[in-house]
Amino acid sequence: MEPRTEAIYNKNIAITALVGILAALLLAFREGVFSPVPIYGSLIFIVIMFVGHFLTNHLFPKQDPALFILCCFICQLGLVMLYRIDPESAAKQLIWFGIGCLLYFISSFVCRTWIEIKVGPFIFFLVTFVLLASPLIFGVERYGSKSWISFGNFLFQPSELAKITFSLFLADTLKEHKIEDSIKFFGQIFVVLGLLAFARDLGGAMLFYFAALIIIFAATSRLDLTVLGLIGAVVAGLLGYQFFGHVRVRTKAWLNPWEDVPGKGYQIVQSLFAIAEGGFFGTGLGLGRPDYIPAVTTDFIFSAFFEEFGFLGASALIVVYFLLIYRGIKISLTIENSFLCLSGLGITVFFGIQIFTIIGGVIKLIPMTGVTLPFMSYGGSSMVMSFISLGILNGIIMRALGGEADG
Amino acid sequence: MDKLKRNIKLIFVVFSVLFISLILYLTYFTAVEREQLIKSSYNRRLWEQEEKVMRGTIYDSKGRPLAETGFEGGTKRRIYNGGKAIGPLIGYSDRVLGRAGIENVFNGELLGVSEQDPVTLLRQKILGVSEQGSDVYLTIDLDLQKTAYDLFQGRKGALVALEPQTGRILALVSSPGYDPSTVKQDWEKLSKDENKPLINRATQGLYPPGSAFKIITLAGALTYNPEIEYEKFYTPGYIKVSGSIIRDGQHLWPGEYDLNTAFRYSSNTVFIQIGQRVEREKMIEMAEAFGFNASNKSDIPIAKSTFPRPPVIGGDVEMAESFIGQGRILSTPVQMAQVAAIIANDGKMVTPYIAQKIVSPLGTEISKAPKASTTQVVSSEVARKIKALMVDVVKSGTGTAAAISGIEVAGKTGSAENPHGQAHAWFVGFAPAENPKIAVAVVVENAGSGGSVAGPIARGVISKYLSDITR
Repeated sequence: MEPRTEAIYNKNIAITALVGILAALLLAFREGVFSPVPIYGSLIFIVIMFVGHFLTNHLFPKQDPALFILCCFICQLGLVMLYRIDPESAAKQLIWFGIGCLLYFISSFVCRTWIEIKVGPFIFFLVTFVLLASPLIFGVERYGSKSWISFGNFLFQPSELAKITFSLFLADTLKEHKIEDSIKFFGQIFVVLGLLAFARDLGGAMLFYFAALIIIFAATSRLDLTVLGLIGAVVAGLLGYQFFGHVRVRTKAWLNPWEDVPGKGYQIVQSLFAIAEGGFFGTGLGLGRPDYIPAVTTDFIFSAFFEEFGFLGASALIVVYFLLIYRGIKISLTIENSFLCLSGLGITVFFGIQIFTIIGGVIKLIPMTGVTLPFMSYGGSSMVMSFISLGILNGIIMRALGGEADG
Repeated sequence: MDKLKRNIKLIFVVFSVLFISLILYLTYFTAVEREQLIKSSYNRRLWEQEEKVMRGTIYDSKGRPLAETGFEGGTKRRIYNGGKAIGPLIGYSDRVLGRAGIENVFNGELLGVSEQDPVTLLRQKILGVSEQGSDVYLTIDLDLQKTAYDLFQGRKGALVALEPQTGRILALVSSPGYDPSTVKQDWEKLSKDENKPLINRATQGLYPPGSAFKIITLAGALTYNPEIEYEKFYTPGYIKVSGSIIRDGQHLWPGEYDLNTAFRYSSNTVFIQIGQRVEREKMIEMAEAFGFNASNKSDIPIAKSTFPRPPVIGGDVEMAESFIGQGRILSTPVQMAQVAAIIANDGKMVTPYIAQKIVSPLGTEISKAPKASTTQVVSSEVARKIKALMVDVVKSGTGTAAAISGIEVAGKTGSAENPHGQAHAWFVGFAPAENPKIAVAVVVENAGSGGSVAGPIARGVISKYLSDITR
């Protein structure tokens, strides 16, 4: 890396650390008496961040350092919000952040040396299938969908990991820029979507659907399939409205939340009140009322963030997410190997759709779907898998710049 | 490969659009939708704000507080000044009872949550006055309001007084009223009271306007058939419309009438003849120009006054009844005061308003007075002719009870038949006729003749106001 670029990255990470310390100081004095806990938390975070940044920069000179800095910035804001809402979950989340960073490092490394293992698309499909089918058999139901597996206290959502294997499956199938066996290919995709729908994880199904649609378009340039896919999305939406009670509830809550404020519209209305309260500058950290917002640590964390950080803070957060997507796209554009290119694109697209649907949902731009906000929502599996995905993205760029994979 | 890169770029454009749309929507939300949500009664933050905030004061036009927040034994209390005369107008704000009246309409301002300008908000936060609401200055004159309320002597009814050139509401009375200071203790009794003191009759009461509506019939006739001014009309004391018979009042006689006599003594049969000579659509347009069938643009919510129009209703009989303010036509007292004010204002539109200005805790004043309208509802010539006829009504017609010595009062009475018993008594007018300072509409429910019951109330309010402003 050039010294100038390196200096810029170092400056960014210093600013991130500074933001964290300021927020921690505010939180430390929040109750009126000084509490050192947020400062310890912040220091632990900063140490992990610095070690992660400098270690990976040292070991992987070809990596994209922006990925790690951007997601640390978001994670930190997430931790600050979590601590402010419920210090205990912030502590757990900090542990997950640490594990995530480790896995980021490992997946970057593994991906750099390994990525092109010739297992063929069917294996990727099979892994996706097993991942998605497992909660149907061993799983437990949480938040209205049966897509979780519990290991003792820890709940794991296999569909988070399936996003990666599904991206690899699509990339491997479509690396020749054409669909060889369309019946088999679309059959496989519909099996995946069917499993998600069966677990009543409709937000997940939607994510996978659009991700597949975008990757197929990118790889094959087939506009007919894209248009058909978009029509299919509308039809699926209408069918979902007919057959799934909670799709109906959510659509109605989106169209007119005021019809039933204490019932169907409750969540979205509380979210909108929080956003309205925030205004341009926000109420200030610690001065909002996240306790009024349901599911505030997971689905609605953006609303709580908006209330306290205001339009300016929330717009900045959206821009940071956008930069993350931009880096992902940039990585795909740098790569000549079409399998790697499509894999990177798949991961980026999953991030992009997920961020858009959850933020769009809580601000009532689109109907609400229960997906997490990557790096920010409370939850181990989301955090860990987001880091692994990002690690793969990082591995892909190292691989490409390292010149080890051409073709 | 190139195609792939092109597609990826395209996908990036799509994501850019999506993310920008998030920010744009949030901009729109923060700039436009936000205000309503903050004020929504479902918003729990509002009650929380209520507890933190010193609710602003409501002042009358002379700077006397009508409602203010004070401390009593360490707890915050809302203190009202004006008793039953102000109750239905000012309303109340209570966690259990909810909100009503001015306390409800200007709740956002009084709590200081409707401030939109982010820089001001930041300044208030820094200066530590964000926990103080804005003050609302009304156009109401407390003395006039009390005088008017007392004149009702507890009878059911309403009075609206306006400044004709501006639309400033000088008094807005609903009787019987209630005292907002004790509304919580009296709630049980008030809510069960058959006289419905909790309702603001002046803004929400819908009454047939009776003969007071003839002002509009006259305006239509003079606009579209100016020659009627010189015509004579014969009436046998009744008129047949599609088989129905409509009669004149008992004080009238069969015979020949000119326009002045017919208006002065309020002949139903002549006014139906006059009305029928104007194209139906034109008459509906005239009523709507005065404000019927449209939601009032005032700053307080006012029920919609209705003039029957096809296809919903509008047969010949209904139309004929409408010309004399009967049948299915309904009007609020505010609307009728507006009619009087329009004639007083040389035929120009008048929009009533009640909030003069809002003063923020930083001392910034926001004027709420709307710009005077230049829309001519009727030509100034027609307005002048109607005014002359209205002056004669008070001088020597049905409205003599409203006459004030030394001041020329213009008016029109009405006795609106209704299914609930005796006729509603109306008086609509303004004074002084040459240079109008005040326009009023008075209705007293089931009180009989407009002239003798509503007229004296109007007289009392007009003379009080005129002597106040010349003092």
